[in-house]
Amino acid sequence: MSRGAYLMSLGLVPYAEALALQRSLAGAVSQGAIPETVIFLEHPPVVTVGRRTETELELHIPEDAEVEIAETDRGGKSTFHAPGQLVCYPILDLGNHGKDVKRYVRDLEEALLRTLAAFEISGERIDGLTGVWLTRSAVPGVSLASGGGRDSADARPVRHSTVQRRERSAEPGSARREPHAARGGGPPRKIASIGVHVSRWVTTHGYALNVDLDPAPFTEWITACGLEDAAFTTMARELGRPLTTDDVRPSAIDAIADVFGLELEELPADEGSGLWPQPIHASLASR
Amino acid sequence: MSEKLEATAKLYDEAAVELDRAARHCEVAAKHFRDGEVPRGAAHAWAARGHLLEAESRLDAQALEHAGRSQPQA
Repeated sequence: MSRGAYLMSLGLVPYAEALALQRSLAGAVSQGAIPETVIFLEHPPVVTVGRRTETELELHIPEDAEVEIAETDRGGKSTFHAPGQLVCYPILDLGNHGKDVKRYVRDLEEALLRTLAAFEISGERIDGLTGVWLTRSAVPGVSLASGGGRDSADARPVRHSTVQRRERSAEPGSARREPHAARGGGPPRKIASIGVHVSRWVTTHGYALNVDLDPAPFTEWITACGLEDAAFTTMARELGRPLTTDDVRPSAIDAIADVFGLELEELPADEGSGLWPQPIHASLASR
Repeated sequence: MSEKLEATAKLYDEAAVELDRAARHCEVAAKHFRDGEVPRGAAHAWAARGHLLEAESRLDAQALEHAGRSQPQA
């Protein structure tokens, strides 16, 4: 049985704004003021540190890198967000989904695997590690060396932002172009990260899927997820062609809806008051 | 100050915090609507509503407490 839920596609949103929004929406979901809500967005370049981050060991951001550093209340270690990465923050009441945080994380992985499968990319889980990984060539015949996507050489300029910005040096475009681990059947490549927070069984944070961005900061600026020697990749890189988050979002929405049994209702993007009547209001009122 | 009065004050402090948060989300929502960013404005509008309900629940709790102690004349 499907449950009604809101879908918010918010575009490019600074991390601090998105964090405040998640917390407040989680309160609203917890109160029953709004249904469960799934947010899709992108962040300007930001390094986020979680509760388990060992800052001294994990952050090695070059001095002239203009990148935000934000502390979060999610689980996990440090990670990097930037445009070209599809971020999904489900605000779900786990009371409706089994009250099992481990199962919730597995379900997020399942949603990611289905999203990748829609592009014929075979993602995998790895025991003991969260997130989604690739261990073999995603698409037969595509050489990762050719790279269809955004790589170090054409990295988007990082933006100046306001939340706890630390200036150290490094320009993302100067990142070394490492031989890709996967080319020689090397270590697994991480394509999506997961970090969640649960309070009163309501979830915040979620996943970040690398669609098409320069993956160098994951290794050059931070030890992402606390993983030494990890390799990171993107969908565009694996497919050997450019890809946008707009291309991927519909599949990601379908996957989230299927895995969590949600009937997603997107907030209109045209003119309105923001609190216009929607069919879901009747079901909320009848609770 | 008695413990009961301190508990009452705390409820109002919490209500004020929630109302402040609601106000901030309303301001951000207004900005986004003016900028034509409707989904983003709507998201903040819903967030504001959540905080209003939180504040209301604190004030309701105090109203119930007060009602329980009052002794209306017949």
